[in-house]
Amino acid sequence: MSYAYLFKYIIIGDTGVGKSCLLLQFTDKRFQPVHDLTIGVEFGARMITIDSKQIKLQIWDTAGQEAFRSITRSYYRGAAGALLVYDITRRETFNHLTTWLDDARQHSNSNMVIMLIGNKSDLESRREVKKEEGEAFAREHGLVFMETSAKTAANVEEAFINTAKEIYEKIQEGVFDINNEANGIKIGPQHSPTNPSLPGAGGSGGSQGSGCC
Amino acid sequence: MFRSRSWFGGGWGRPKNPHSLEHLKYLYNVLSRNQTVSEHNRGLLVETLRSIAEILIWGDQNDSSVFDFFLEKNMLSFFLKIMRQRSGGSSFVCVQLLQTLNILFENIRNETSLYYLLSNNHVNSIIVHKFDFSDEEVMAYYISFLKTLSLKLNAHTIHFFYNEHTNDFPLYTEAIKFFNHPESMVRIAVRTLTLNVYKVEDASMLAFIRDRTAAPYFSNIVWFIGKHIMELDACVRNDADHQSHNRLSDLVAEHLDHLHYLNDILCLNITDLNHVLTDHLLHKLLIPLYICSLAASTSAAQTTRRRTTDAVAKMLAQHSATPDGSPKMETGNGKVSCVVALFLLSQVFLIISHSPLVQTLAWIVLKTDRSIFEKGVDKLLQYYENDVKRRESSTTEDSATPNTDIDSKSSTESISELRSNVTDEEKQRLATETPSTGEHPFLDAVYGALDCAENDYVALFALSLFYAMANNKGVTADVIEQVLRPKKTFTPKTPSQKDVKYTYNVHLVDKLLNIAACSCQPSCRVRLVTLELALKLFVQLVTCDGKNILLDGHAALIDAAKTQSTALLRNFYKSEEIFLDMFEHEYCDMSKGSLNVEWLCMDSAILLPPTGTPMTGIDFTKRLPCGEVERAKRAIRVFFLVRNAVLTLNGELETQLPLTNPQSCVQIDQALDLNNSDLIACTVTWKDGTKMRRFLVIDVLQLILVEPDTKRLGWGVAKLVGFLQDIEVTGDKDDSRCLHITIHRPISGATANRVPLLNAKFVFDDNIRCMAAKQRLSKGRLKARQKKMQHIARLLDIPGQSGPPSPAFVGSGLYASRNPGRGLRETRPLFCPNKVPGFAAPRRESSPGIIHRADPAKHARDGVSPNRLANLKKEERDKSRSRDSSSSRAKSREGSPRMPRPRSEEIPLELIKKASNSCLDMAPKISIVPRPQTPKIEVASTSGGPTTSSQSQAETAKELAVSEETSFIADELRGASKKKGLIETI
Repeated sequence: MSYAYLFKYIIIGDTGVGKSCLLLQFTDKRFQPVHDLTIGVEFGARMITIDSKQIKLQIWDTAGQEAFRSITRSYYRGAAGALLVYDITRRETFNHLTTWLDDARQHSNSNMVIMLIGNKSDLESRREVKKEEGEAFAREHGLVFMETSAKTAANVEEAFINTAKEIYEKIQEGVFDINNEANGIKIGPQHSPTNPSLPGAGGSGGSQGSGCC
Repeated sequence: MFRSRSWFGGGWGRPKNPHSLEHLKYLYNVLSRNQTVSEHNRGLLVETLRSIAEILIWGDQNDSSVFDFFLEKNMLSFFLKIMRQRSGGSSFVCVQLLQTLNILFENIRNETSLYYLLSNNHVNSIIVHKFDFSDEEVMAYYISFLKTLSLKLNAHTIHFFYNEHTNDFPLYTEAIKFFNHPESMVRIAVRTLTLNVYKVEDASMLAFIRDRTAAPYFSNIVWFIGKHIMELDACVRNDADHQSHNRLSDLVAEHLDHLHYLNDILCLNITDLNHVLTDHLLHKLLIPLYICSLAASTSAAQTTRRRTTDAVAKMLAQHSATPDGSPKMETGNGKVSCVVALFLLSQVFLIISHSPLVQTLAWIVLKTDRSIFEKGVDKLLQYYENDVKRRESSTTEDSATPNTDIDSKSSTESISELRSNVTDEEKQRLATETPSTGEHPFLDAVYGALDCAENDYVALFALSLFYAMANNKGVTADVIEQVLRPKKTFTPKTPSQKDVKYTYNVHLVDKLLNIAACSCQPSCRVRLVTLELALKLFVQLVTCDGKNILLDGHAALIDAAKTQSTALLRNFYKSEEIFLDMFEHEYCDMSKGSLNVEWLCMDSAILLPPTGTPMTGIDFTKRLPCGEVERAKRAIRVFFLVRNAVLTLNGELETQLPLTNPQSCVQIDQALDLNNSDLIACTVTWKDGTKMRRFLVIDVLQLILVEPDTKRLGWGVAKLVGFLQDIEVTGDKDDSRCLHITIHRPISGATANRVPLLNAKFVFDDNIRCMAAKQRLSKGRLKARQKKMQHIARLLDIPGQSGPPSPAFVGSGLYASRNPGRGLRETRPLFCPNKVPGFAAPRRESSPGIIHRADPAKHARDGVSPNRLANLKKEERDKSRSRDSSSSRAKSREGSPRMPRPRSEEIPLELIKKASNSCLDMAPKISIVPRPQTPKIEVASTSGGPTTSSQSQAETAKELAVSEETSFIADELRGASKKKGLIETI
């Protein structure tokens, strides 16, 4: 499947905030759990369209590897975007954001786009973290913020796609060195690095992908 | 790709409920009818596989019969059949298949189900299947699958993957084939997997890893690291112009990744593995390439080099006999440059703390002498091992002199000794150094690198290496003692007393002080970071048992450096506003934390020759200053660094900085007693249109917006507090009652962009009040700044600023000098108004009509924020008696407490100040009730100046009395408890 760019994402945050569910929800929309089914996955890829260019998103969940410093370090460095996820029904996951963010900032390349996600927005009755708090944290640290629900799929598309849009804009501005694959961005096989404005192969229209995996 | 649901459209009797056993049976039928993948059915297959994953997880959580059916029909075998077909589009199906497996293994909670899934060896068949790894997507899903499996490993499940009888462990052996895959995420997944495998404590599995895979795998790693640093070295050599910074930074980050990975393995503490790994690292990488490169440049090493190479070659020949024929290390090709070698070794010591490894390395760097060195690389290790044995035996034989044999080895080390008697703390100089000769090729190479005559390019790395070695937890004290740490020896003199002898590495301290002295020269080529690190190391080297053991000569040198750094900064002291902001900004920046050497050594920018231009994007501290402003900035930093080092050495606390003491400032929501304070009513209109009625209070340093306290009459609650020094005031052309006020946030150094604290329109009752407010604000700003500039001048010993050193800094240090002041009160001479530049009196001439601002006594109190009020009483009295210029005002205060419009040219809003209920002459104008904290009064007196006797303070105070800075000296102890909470308005 040809693409103009490939963006690598990582998902970070405390355990149990629904990282792998978000990932699966985005890459494989069919898993909309009608029943009480928690299901997630550690890796997924999906094609989206931005500015009529095919962009492939590769998302790597880092769960379970926190014990090894070398692993987290490398993950951060190899990603162009990061979704920093907390659970709106568990205050402590919000309180740990600073630690996650410090880690991310220390290890990642400075251009990495970080999106703050308050997950489980469907559980309004058990909410412990106000939306305003998330917004304030994001504003203070220069992040984009969104509340999502991996269960109802609310805002999941938007979270991943908006992050991609921001990375894309940074590429257009020339902030990202796209020839350096270590930044988590790869140019598609047929796209010459000297002409990044080459129209995407797919061009299926619309700013959002037509949902493929 | 194949999201189309039309595949399910054709009513093949698909059950309505997607989560049911019936649905799985239906999917099973689909699979068995489509055992051959074709263009036509691949979409259907993908959809089916996807559904299977979903239903199995649902079954795992809700209905066990689902899983039973899956196992009964052996549906995993279908998976295998599908992936073994090489037809068009099979990779699409393979991807979904791998993802289904990922979902399956990731989400299964029921252990029995997991065991059943693993039990028939299908999973191992899938692992060893040759997928089309050239397909990026297949590769990613495949490696994720392996990683997911590795996360499921434990003492039970390991037996499904590692077969003891066939000595087969496909999960591990297949994964490590991708160790050096070009895709970084794949490499990371492989590393994760290996660590997850090692973590499982299974003896036979670990034996397999060690015997069958460790040698080839570890030597592969080591070989790649070696190859990698050759690239790194080439990149550094060929890039004097900072052209390929990105590439260099990748190479450095990659090397760090390797080291962290090795450290993660070593930290798992698997004895056998660690032994093999340490052995490989030392023999094939760290000693031949890293350490030997240190001495490679010295002429004496020329001959050795050949021998070393031979030795390495010989060693390699032995090692290549290991199974699988591990790749050969190309160390024979040459060495890396000294810069790179020092940098890499620093990283090793900063990251790895596995004792057998770092201990050996440290010993070789510090203790190897010429004779051993010339025998070749392999002898180095041997000598180290012999040394260890000898030490072990000697400690058992003769415990009284445990260090003798080490001492004899390092006797050529420059040693100076200090003997201090424990009982009377008397220090005596006993011995002086013997000059260091070229006896220790590696150590001398590092010493040599400390020479900053031309620039500090190499010196920075030498410092990092010493620092990293001295602070590595895996290196024992006996190796670094005397060289990198002070040494303490006890020599019994008489039965009752013991002599404690402190010694330190005089030669190294000489070098470090030389760097410090260099840094204080106006046009030096030493970067700030080098100075900071040199001072950090210096303090460590000469501090033992919590006190410094510095020789007199060295103490004089560091003092000279301090004087020099002060002199350097004096050149930049100017009345330009920016100097104050820079000074405070730099202080703030520096107090955020001292240098983190590990982070420093992560920065590839320092690997390139030092440069001055900021266009490289290199941090200011890691390059030379560019232009006058940056030179000033640098001078400020040098001053702080040296000052801080001297304070630390003397065990003193900083009492003069920061310029603003936050303790003395009014905080938001604090309740203030505003009886008799100057309040200007105004309406504040924010940019968004919100309006609020507030009272403006102008304190010595701060602008405060209060609203009336509902609980107490005459009190107000601070709603907004800003520093006067940070305000901008402009009038409104259309409305004479309006001011536009911007208050910037105080300098914090944290944010590059200072978003204003307040940017609003202030509407006053009439234009007179407006004018008054404007004048007071701009005067207040000026004064607050002048105050701080004077304080800096005192710090810099600038003559003519304020004469004797004054404790009147805007901070807590006052407490100390305040106490003895009480006795002076009666004898204190009158003010001497015009002494300090920027003092209010001259201003009055230039801008008549603001007499209320031109009050020297208050000006002096500016510096006394925490306890201004208490001082006030005396001043006000003096003033009213003796100063014509202020007599009218003082009188009016005393005589007519509530007079709204004072006579003469005073601005009407300068309200009358009088103590209404106080027994003192003059009451506090605002009393702050310190809500959260209790007043901090006497604590600071120790930090303020522990050595100052009350007599000397009295003298100082007398001197000060000549200037107008003194008012606070005349303090009242009895008011002490109140002082903290009191402020006064200008």
